[in-house]
Amino acid sequence: MAETRGPVSGVVTDIQRFSIHDGPGIRTTVFVKGCPLRCFWCHNPEALAPQPQLQCFPDRCIGCGDCVDACPQGAHAMRDGAHRFDRSRCTGCGLCARTCYARALVMAGEVKSADEVVEEVLRDTAFYETSGGGVTISGGEPLQQPRFTRAVLAACREAGVHTAIETAGHVARDRLLAVLPVTDLVMMDIKTMDPELHRDATGVSHERILESARLVGESGTPLIIRTPVVPGVNDTVESIDAIAGFAAGLRSLVSYELLRFHMMAGSKYAALGMACPAAELTPPDDELMDRLTAAAARHAIAVTHT
Amino acid sequence: MTATSTLYETRIKALRATKLEHTEEKLARYGSFDVDDHGYIPWTEPIAFEPVSSHPSGGCWGMKDIGESFRRWLEVHPVYIHPQSAIAGAWVYKGIPGVAGFELAEGMGAPDSPKEREARTLANYPRNWRPEDRPTHLYEKLVAYNTYSPGIGHPNHFGPDMTIGLSLGWGGLLEKVRRYRGLNSPAEGAADTTFYDGEENLILGMQAWIRRHVDHARAMARLEDDEATRENLETIAQINEHLVHGAPRTFREAIQFLGWFQCIDRMWALGGALGQIDELLRPWYEADTGSGRETDESIIWQLASLFFNDSHYSQIGGQGPDGRDLTSRMSFLVLEAMHRIRIPVNVALRVHDGMDRSLLRKALEFMAADGTGVDFALSGGLDEGFMRNGYPAGLARMRAKVGCNWTALPGTEYGSQDGTRLCLATPLLLAIDDALAADPPAPDVATMDALWQRYVHHLGLAVATVKAGKDIHMERQADNYPEIVLNLFCHGPIERGLDASAGGLDIIDLAFDGIGLATTADSFAAIEQRVTQEKKLSLAELRRHLEDDFESAEPVRLMLATVRRYGSGGSRADEWARRIAELWTSLVRDTPTERGHWTCMPGLFSHGATSGFGRLLGATPNGRRAGAPVSHSANPDPGFVPGGGVALTAKANAVASTQSHWGNTTPLQVEIDTGLMNGMGGTDAVADFIMAHNRQGGTLINMNIVRKEDVIEAHEDPASHPDLMIRVTGYSAYFSSLSREYRQPIVDRIIAGG
Ligand code: SF4
Ligand code: SF4
Repeated sequence: MAETRGPVSGVVTDIQRFSIHDGPGIRTTVFVKGCPLRCFWCHNPEALAPQPQLQCFPDRCIGCGDCVDACPQGAHAMRDGAHRFDRSRCTGCGLCARTCYARALVMAGEVKSADEVVEEVLRDTAFYETSGGGVTISGGEPLQQPRFTRAVLAACREAGVHTAIETAGHVARDRLLAVLPVTDLVMMDIKTMDPELHRDATGVSHERILESARLVGESGTPLIIRTPVVPGVNDTVESIDAIAGFAAGLRSLVSYELLRFHMMAGSKYAALGMACPAAELTPPDDELMDRLTAAAARHAIAVTHT
Repeated sequence: MTATSTLYETRIKALRATKLEHTEEKLARYGSFDVDDHGYIPWTEPIAFEPVSSHPSGGCWGMKDIGESFRRWLEVHPVYIHPQSAIAGAWVYKGIPGVAGFELAEGMGAPDSPKEREARTLANYPRNWRPEDRPTHLYEKLVAYNTYSPGIGHPNHFGPDMTIGLSLGWGGLLEKVRRYRGLNSPAEGAADTTFYDGEENLILGMQAWIRRHVDHARAMARLEDDEATRENLETIAQINEHLVHGAPRTFREAIQFLGWFQCIDRMWALGGALGQIDELLRPWYEADTGSGRETDESIIWQLASLFFNDSHYSQIGGQGPDGRDLTSRMSFLVLEAMHRIRIPVNVALRVHDGMDRSLLRKALEFMAADGTGVDFALSGGLDEGFMRNGYPAGLARMRAKVGCNWTALPGTEYGSQDGTRLCLATPLLLAIDDALAADPPAPDVATMDALWQRYVHHLGLAVATVKAGKDIHMERQADNYPEIVLNLFCHGPIERGLDASAGGLDIIDLAFDGIGLATTADSFAAIEQRVTQEKKLSLAELRRHLEDDFESAEPVRLMLATVRRYGSGGSRADEWARRIAELWTSLVRDTPTERGHWTCMPGLFSHGATSGFGRLLGATPNGRRAGAPVSHSANPDPGFVPGGGVALTAKANAVASTQSHWGNTTPLQVEIDTGLMNGMGGTDAVADFIMAHNRQGGTLINMNIVRKEDVIEAHEDPASHPDLMIRVTGYSAYFSSLSREYRQPIVDRIIAGG
């Protein structure tokens, strides 16, 4: 990939510190915005669209009316003392969020320079050192913003910080190749080996994903394959067995992790004016998770579940 | 499980049940108490007692009267033996009635009950001094600076060396007192002997009290049907018969000796420091388990009995003077005993870079199971800070964490810690007043430099006032409220005939604790951004809103509150916090007190006083309403991360960046959700977190591991979780025993997540 000049920046939704489930040790996880998949159970709906979006939390609104004056598009109005928001007019410029001190209007996604992000990541170096932790770029899809991801990881690595990405793997080969050399660990999701089901559940084919996994496997970069266990998608022994079988063939595989689906993002969907398609799903129980873990472990790989 | 371990298990359960009953009874009688358990038992019967007085007011002050009164009190003090405990003794009140200003009627609840704090006129302050000695000339300034806790008359809060008592016993201590009386005042009437009279009386009273327990144990045994319990009571009688004069010979006798010490230490000045308990007891443990006299199970029961007796502070782990790690089997047994009895206990685990990680892991596992456990005293910041005073590393390593926030050298360091608190926010409000008072307004009215200079001026005056108070403390404390108990367990006082507060100890470093750092730093940042940079409002408008407590100005309040806060990292508020912490450190440390030339030792610690200080503080420019609590120690305010989340590392970085580095503490308070701790890798991550904060130069971590839901439920209905324990600051307590206003900030912290 050609390096272009100028400071590199990315669209970041959140930087989460003391993150202990996104790779080894104590980590800082940088969530970037934009994802090519549309998994209906997504926990991070704010990370789907690539551009910054306005989130609206009406229960925090104190009715000050400041947003009405701030918006060049006239998307806000006060009617009978109550705040109204017309999302169809919003361009996501963020001006209103800056005046809303009640935090009823909050931007999802902020353009940040790689330097800025690195500075924040390096604040917790003391904790990476004692725990063997580091930085993880997650999303969204970090490989949708390969220049940014590469810049952040390269700088962190130079500072002696362990680097990781969490990717869905649905990206062009050159993007992955651009980031791999500065990555110490790849965590990749595989949702199902069934092509039809994959397309139905995520909106894309799984071809590229499997190809990415093979590429990482061959590169030798340590790889963790993960599967969110979602009712009706992959919560059967056959389904997990097939993924584990594939994972077992990846040369640099470290472990296979089964992540129990939890629907906790209902309010995030509402704030973005989106419907939450997985709201009615119930999380898999312990017995099922144990059974799936045992099935996967038959492939002689290290398996854990949450 | 063997029959004997079942017996010990049953006994520990019985002690735990009694503690819960006692707590309920104390709550029913005295209402909430915002301090730790202190081990005293509820007592309803009248006790016939008159203190001795040679003061015209009829009050009892000074070594002579106090010594005599103490002895008389011990002669009539109730006897108490829990039949399932390994040791005898318990105390009943939070002081000796009528002695040094202690009045039974008001003294039963918290020593600084909300009522007392509300009055906050400082009238009769300090109450444990003769009226004519009280520093009335300082009251006005102290009140102006919202400094109602300037540490004058503040007793104990330094550490004993219990090896002195354990090797001498009460008889040996009595001989020592008599010997030095002879050496220091050979001719009858040649010198003032009241110091030795007082100490001697205390020991004689103590011996009489122990003797009465011997009789009581025998009487109980005669009436006891259960054979094992009868045997236990007879053993208690035997060991105490010996301990009237003799030094402890066995582990159990050592525990009993410490139990007696805990009782009189509390009785006197609510003292609560024990020491490096694992090392203290290790020789007895090794001898008695080696000889087969005791097993680990019986040892655990005896330790649990000591914890039932009182929640004195002690330490495990850490390093010997030569740097070797002190972790031993005893350290683990102390943890085990805490875990088994599950009542409020105050043990600190000393963390250092080369420590035994398995001890840390064990402590965390028990915390995850019990909700609370040890706190973590960090050698990283403590040792390095203390050494900057010119002391060698070996000495720094010997300091033990034996108080809510503080560490002290056993028996040689007088710090009068954890009682001198200054509000960092009040000087800012006064600075704003000054800036606006100039008529016509000074042209620099709204520049941050000008405001800062005025702040420096006011904080400087506040510190100077408290230092003047410290001189008075050092001059008059011994004569009013001597350290009659701790003198016996220190190196110097008995030998020199001087009270610990009057030259009895070699090292004197008077601790000062600043309070409300985040409130102040966020306020500076809010003024800087909203007033001077964005010009959203003028300083005069800001003050009007503060005076009106943001009446009808919620948007303004929110505008001020949403400036990037201290703790978020790299913000202006973080800068201000550092600047304020540096100023505080230099004002306290750079100059000793004027008259006594005493060195002062800065730290940032609010104890549980965030509500008390907040109540008399007006609204602040960070959007905090009048009367709301001020921020906790040097911790960022809850919600300092704009997006929320468990920002433990951000918090730790903030607290590390504002350490004073002189050997006092600036603790980090964290609340960790049980789910996170019990999840994959949770314990390791928390252990690594602690080790990293130690390396960062942190000094102390107070940690709770709780289920958010439990705490919220218990806040609404304390009776729903009677045994939920919480580390309030440096001490742990039953959550249900705290007042609503003490509970509120804890709940806020927990809801905000970490
Ligand atoms: S600025 Fe925020 S608080 Fe004010 S009316 Fe608009 S949404 Fe509500
Ligand atoms: S983000 Fe911009 S366009 Fe959208 S509502 Fe706010 S001000 Fe208007």
